[in-house]
Amino acid sequence: MKAVGARLPRYDGLAHVTGRTTYVDDVRAPGLLWTKALRSPHHSARIVNIDTSRAEQHPGVRAVITQADVPQNVYGHLEALGVPADEPLLADGEVRYRGQPIAAVAAEDEATAREALELITVEYEEREPLFDIRLAFDPGAPTVHEWGPVFPHFGPHRQRRVRKGDVEGAFDRAHVIVEGVYRPGAIEHVPIEPQTALVVPEADGRLTIYSCTQAMYFSMGVVAQHLQLPLNRLKFVGGTVGGGFGGKVDTASETISALLALKAQRPVKWRWTREEEFLASSTRAPWHIELADAVTEDGWILGRRTLTLHDAGAYTRFSSYGLTKHAFHHAGAYTIPNVHFDGFVVYSNRVPTTAMRGFGVTSVSYAVELHMSRIAEVLGMDPWELRLKNANRIGDVTPNLVRLKDPSTVPVMQAAAERVGVELRPEYRSMSSEPRSGDLLPEHLVGNAGQTNGTEAR
Amino acid sequence: MNLTVNGVETELVSPPLASLLHVLREELGVTSPKAGCQQGGCGACTVLVDGQPRRACLVPLGAVAGAEVVTVEGLGSLDGLSPVQAAFHERYAAQCGFCTSGMMIAAHAYIERGGTGERATILEALGGHVCRCTGYTKIVEAVGAAARGEVAPADVQADFDPQPGEPEILVKGAPA
Amino acid sequence: MTAARPEVLLPSSPEDAIEAFGDGTDVTVVAGGTIVMPDLTYGRLQPTRALLLTRSGLDTITREGGTVRLGATVPVAALEDSPEPLASTALHVADVEIRSQGTVGGNLCAPPGAGAPRGDLQAPLIALGARVRSAGAGGQRTEAVEEFLANGSREGRLVLELEFEEPQAGARAALDRPHTHDYTALSVAACRGADGAVRLAASGAAPHGIRLPSAERAYAQGGDAERAGREAIADASFADDALASAWYREQMLPVLVRRALTDLQETA
Repeated sequence: MKAVGARLPRYDGLAHVTGRTTYVDDVRAPGLLWTKALRSPHHSARIVNIDTSRAEQHPGVRAVITQADVPQNVYGHLEALGVPADEPLLADGEVRYRGQPIAAVAAEDEATAREALELITVEYEEREPLFDIRLAFDPGAPTVHEWGPVFPHFGPHRQRRVRKGDVEGAFDRAHVIVEGVYRPGAIEHVPIEPQTALVVPEADGRLTIYSCTQAMYFSMGVVAQHLQLPLNRLKFVGGTVGGGFGGKVDTASETISALLALKAQRPVKWRWTREEEFLASSTRAPWHIELADAVTEDGWILGRRTLTLHDAGAYTRFSSYGLTKHAFHHAGAYTIPNVHFDGFVVYSNRVPTTAMRGFGVTSVSYAVELHMSRIAEVLGMDPWELRLKNANRIGDVTPNLVRLKDPSTVPVMQAAAERVGVELRPEYRSMSSEPRSGDLLPEHLVGNAGQTNGTEAR
Repeated sequence: MNLTVNGVETELVSPPLASLLHVLREELGVTSPKAGCQQGGCGACTVLVDGQPRRACLVPLGAVAGAEVVTVEGLGSLDGLSPVQAAFHERYAAQCGFCTSGMMIAAHAYIERGGTGERATILEALGGHVCRCTGYTKIVEAVGAAARGEVAPADVQADFDPQPGEPEILVKGAPA
Repeated sequence: MTAARPEVLLPSSPEDAIEAFGDGTDVTVVAGGTIVMPDLTYGRLQPTRALLLTRSGLDTITREGGTVRLGATVPVAALEDSPEPLASTALHVADVEIRSQGTVGGNLCAPPGAGAPRGDLQAPLIALGARVRSAGAGGQRTEAVEEFLANGSREGRLVLELEFEEPQAGARAALDRPHTHDYTALSVAACRGADGAVRLAASGAAPHGIRLPSAERAYAQGGDAERAGREAIADASFADDALASAWYREQMLPVLVRRALTDLQETA
């Protein structure tokens, strides 16, 4: 721990300021071909017919690929973790979001590649799209996937569920029920470096893949699976990512570039345009979160009901993981002994959503904190005091049965209050994370299965 | 068509409507200006043309035939950093580094035309440049530091050997 | 490979530029490049002939005897010292680097934006009573900016010069954009000309900058800024876009007209 607190130069700092940092787009490869992708103009449609023959014959075009060229077209981002795949690399028979890639072209220059796209004919049968996930459960709602509106692989239920304590009882005993609906929207990552991949087919049959991925080993696995190649045929060269923020974990450009490179036997580069970044790149997911808290008039939160709908967009990608993390944190930094959480990954005909800084947790923190402030307002209570009162203490048990060893809610809030010039009343200024006991242990935190702290032997 | 790029006069084969960005990156292999948006909206492609900061993605080659173009490679190098480069490094103004080239060119031009380092004037001068990593605070700080001559390039060591009393650096820095 | 490379012309005088432009058939004019170059890069424009105005000598500003003349390729940044409301409007176009590349002629001829108003300088030029001299089919002609915009001249003529009389006063009222990467959703330019007459124009109230004659008439009849604001709506043809709805613009135009006129009154 010699580095903590020390002022160290960035090891890449001098490269950055001398323009010598090599991003994927800066790698030079003789004989490079440029790539463009044909993307669906429709939100939801069946692909009746696709004809690439004219594009293939266009002068300067060296390779055209569709789903037929992909050894394993459907492979899921989390398949290695047991989550079944649902997303094709290139569309096969249907498209589920505007911007979904259907075909890709490698040509001698960008303009030729663009011209080739014009020469690919696709016949579509448009279908009614679904954009509002709240409507996904209605009978007659447009379907995105044949198995239904939600991700079906969470186990015995098609959702994340957390049940703890006696929520009914908590709601009966409460003086006030405070409800709120929170809908954080989608956010684009907008890295200044657009998605870029460069693939060089080597003479020994290997592929050197220059990638902007945030997750090299992960992307290697994804490419290997799609291409049905052993890992030792791939050499991934990562490096400095020009901004990722979670948006460069989807391995969005490497596989298609690799297939084109294999077909053309020439180095292939694919650099997304800024328009593609906004249109087709994944986003942070929109969420719909409903909270209802059972609250006493003196500010104890006895119980919480939560309903979360997570908008996965057209395909699952990492959404199941995001919702799981979200579920862990739905009590926030506070001890709520009776909880009832239902969360669903819901599909829509939007761009598939993905990770972005705090994936899954930022949404529930946003909702929880707004809700705490709402509760304080309803009760006429100071919002700092409400939070400190209900804050986690050592030994408290979270909704997912984690016994907290060193929660920091109390000291962090006290430090924050001091920083912003909020003077806490003495009772709150002197609070600590020590387990509540005696008079300070409220009735609703005593005894209730796996509950708390101080009074128990563990 | 001729251009003088970082002091070297070169004859070019790119057509007159090719963007200066394309010419620099693809024909000349000068890769510090970046293709962030190719529509003048992000600033990552900014270079100096006859001393003035210009979005290279918006400049047709034919419009600048015979001009002097300076990119980050021409501002300074590892053993001779310019004040702007030294300040950007010293003040941690770069994270991923992708916007850094454009920021430094704009900063350099700002200082050349008399920029004092007053915050509002820095924001005005760099207002067309987007950064998604840093939140801009350290960039503005670095430009101010450079304007006031607070970071001497000679003090920014390329040598990463630890000084007495400093923690040992286990991974030595080098150009990426 | 791609289509035959475009012929690129680089005239070195206004006369050469006029001759090269001819009647404008199949000619793409490139001034600062801020609008045309992205179209070229993304393949939206595939010109047969391109006319680069960089060396054409159309970049002079003169001020003499109360008359201001702006060459077509005067950069937007150079307008910061021009009379109001042109100066303020120029300062609110993009950022300092784009303003140094983009030109007043290019801004005047900006096609309507897909999601936001373009050509912000059109409104203050109209308010200043500016006239534009252009070349093209039928030779050179000079016309009021609002007519140039309304009769489609933007698409087929080569702008040479703008000219206006220095006003007594000018004012700008706008829905200010939050930052340099945004566009101004709606703005009003007001001028009291050398002759004392008040002219009004708006940007973002129609597909291009427009004069507000109904508002001008109402104001001329008694100096009621509030009433002039209400009358302005008749001159507009609002549309929804990415920045604001037609409904919102209709609510705000009278407010901006009133503000601009009030500011104008307060200026000596």
